[in-house]
Amino acid sequence: MSPSSVQDLSGSRLRIFLFMAWRNLWRYPVRSLLTVCALSGGLAMVIFNASLMTGMTRQMVVYATEVSTGHIQVHRQAFADDQDLYATLPWPWLEAIEADFPQLHVAPRLYAAGLASTTETSTGVMIRAVDAERERAVTRMLGQVRQGEVALGVIDETEQGIARYGVAVGAQLARNMRLAPGDELVLVTQAADGSIGNALFVVTAVLNPMELNFDRMGVVMSLEAYRQLMFLEEGFHELAILLDDLDQLEAIQMALQDKLALLEQQTPLDEWGGPVQVRNWKELNPAVSEMLAVSNSMTLIIGLIIVALASLGMLNTMLMAVHERTREFGILMAIGMKKHWLLVMVLLEALCLSLLSAVIGALLGSWLGLRMEDTGIDFSDMMPDGYDWGGIIFEPVMKGWLEPSHVLYASLMMIVVALLASLIPSWRSIRLKPVEAMR
Amino acid sequence: MSAFFRYLALLMLLPSLALARDADALMRHIDGLWRGKTSQATMTMTVTTRRYERAMTMQAWSRGKHYSLIVIEQPVKDKGVATLKVEQNIWNYLPKINRVTKVPSSMMAGSWMGSHFTNDDLVKESTFEDDYDSQITFEGERDGQAIIEITSIPKPDAAVVWGKVVMTIDQQVLAPYRAWYYDEEGTLIRTLVFDQWQQQEDRTIPMRLSLTPQDKPGESTVITYHDIVFDIPLDTDFFSLKTLKRGRITP
Repeated sequence: MSPSSVQDLSGSRLRIFLFMAWRNLWRYPVRSLLTVCALSGGLAMVIFNASLMTGMTRQMVVYATEVSTGHIQVHRQAFADDQDLYATLPWPWLEAIEADFPQLHVAPRLYAAGLASTTETSTGVMIRAVDAERERAVTRMLGQVRQGEVALGVIDETEQGIARYGVAVGAQLARNMRLAPGDELVLVTQAADGSIGNALFVVTAVLNPMELNFDRMGVVMSLEAYRQLMFLEEGFHELAILLDDLDQLEAIQMALQDKLALLEQQTPLDEWGGPVQVRNWKELNPAVSEMLAVSNSMTLIIGLIIVALASLGMLNTMLMAVHERTREFGILMAIGMKKHWLLVMVLLEALCLSLLSAVIGALLGSWLGLRMEDTGIDFSDMMPDGYDWGGIIFEPVMKGWLEPSHVLYASLMMIVVALLASLIPSWRSIRLKPVEAMR
Repeated sequence: MSAFFRYLALLMLLPSLALARDADALMRHIDGLWRGKTSQATMTMTVTTRRYERAMTMQAWSRGKHYSLIVIEQPVKDKGVATLKVEQNIWNYLPKINRVTKVPSSMMAGSWMGSHFTNDDLVKESTFEDDYDSQITFEGERDGQAIIEITSIPKPDAAVVWGKVVMTIDQQVLAPYRAWYYDEEGTLIRTLVFDQWQQQEDRTIPMRLSLTPQDKPGESTVITYHDIVFDIPLDTDFFSLKTLKRGRITP
């Protein structure tokens, strides 16, 4: 016999066995269908879960970066550690960085602690001053409006001729102080020169929850209003940077570090403020980046558990199938069937089952995942202000994100696990002794 | 037998009771030193931080331990900024924007007018007698001065910031030398030094108070009294938001 005819022979044999396996499956259609249901249902759940997790991590990255943090932030150490008012970066550095990195979007920010009062209440607040135009290019902070319309310029003047600037406030702060757009807010702080900074403001907008602290005590104003309140001219506290291409994160971070070191050589900074720190969003939000790091393994583990449980159905079906066909197998062996062909036949049965389940499960799971991309799960009844993780507040709507590769991997995982489960019954079939089996 | 022990216990307890009473009387004396029934004072507060040094001249009025009013006269930038204290409440009047703001209880630990004193100092300083259990812990000569050392521990239910306050007082004129403020862990947080003693009617008053925080070397707040008069006619009406809003503050 030539090698090709052997192959032909085994190829046609395989076809015959495949045919037999398929026919064998439908000897008990209800049982097989139930197994297909269990496996495909399991697979659909795995795909659905993966799409939810992917959606959540994507949402987390967006919230941890684009909403208010940016991808990279630059601070002086004393500001990062203690919010030291005087730990500033000089204004000329902003232009120097913008000139050297035209591909980046940068936004300078200033901060201060203060006391906010209305006629009824007063409370401690965190003042954040932004350059509205640059800020809009970097984050969506000023776009997250719940009420009113963000306007940070001079709104009007009092009878004594004092200009009132507009401010936007956090939602929780607005609720605690019963603030609504149009209300007056008095801010009292200790200005940089030690004097008592005080000024009148008008609330123009209430912002949606973004960060825990900001929501409770945040007041956003313009750089100009800040300067008039705080008498702090030297520089800014924070530089938020947005990248168009996230793959360059590390490279840009390094380049920024070098550039800042060069700038520091040209204009040495005061020693109290400490060195300049360039940190990316993962370093800024370790809780979120750790969450992202474990989410892939979590998806895998949850998937394995679901698939393993579904495969128990497969194990049961195949055990039954082998058990009730003991006599049949005995006869087959008696008329000269090779044991390993018997094994192949049983495994082919399992393969048919799992392939069928994979197709149905993948379709069902993808459909569910795609639906989640559109509608998502809305928790806003339970958590109207979203939930927070590591100080960042997330939308109460969970959206899915279907990755085609996840569908493929989940289906492969299901097929492999199901086949592994069916190895046990098939192994039993070849250990049969023909005479005993026929008895 | 048991009667004997009770007698012995009583005998041992007596001196400490007497001492405790003495300490309370001393603290009451210290509490009232700058106050009298009513008082009016002019003083300069110099705040030195590593970033700036600022001197503020102000007028202060008080009536009993519950009412006080402080108005800044210098520098021009802060002229007219007033702080009113009525019992446990503090209000600030800001003439530039013509508004009165209340200092919330959450800000009591915050700095008062940029100094190293807290808002809480303004409210709580007067209640040594009410909030602390004081005991004489040393009596005798130290650094060539005959002193009494009084240690004050907050009463269990008192809402105070300090874990312990130790003060040394001159045995003769009963004026304070120094006070050390400790937190609940027993770490020294700040030291208050009293000097430039001056005889005022029936009492000796330190005219200068220097506060140095322990964690910020080189920083300090010094309050120097220029003049102080007691028992002038001052109504409780004077210590009101109305007075604050009137702008020009005179009794």
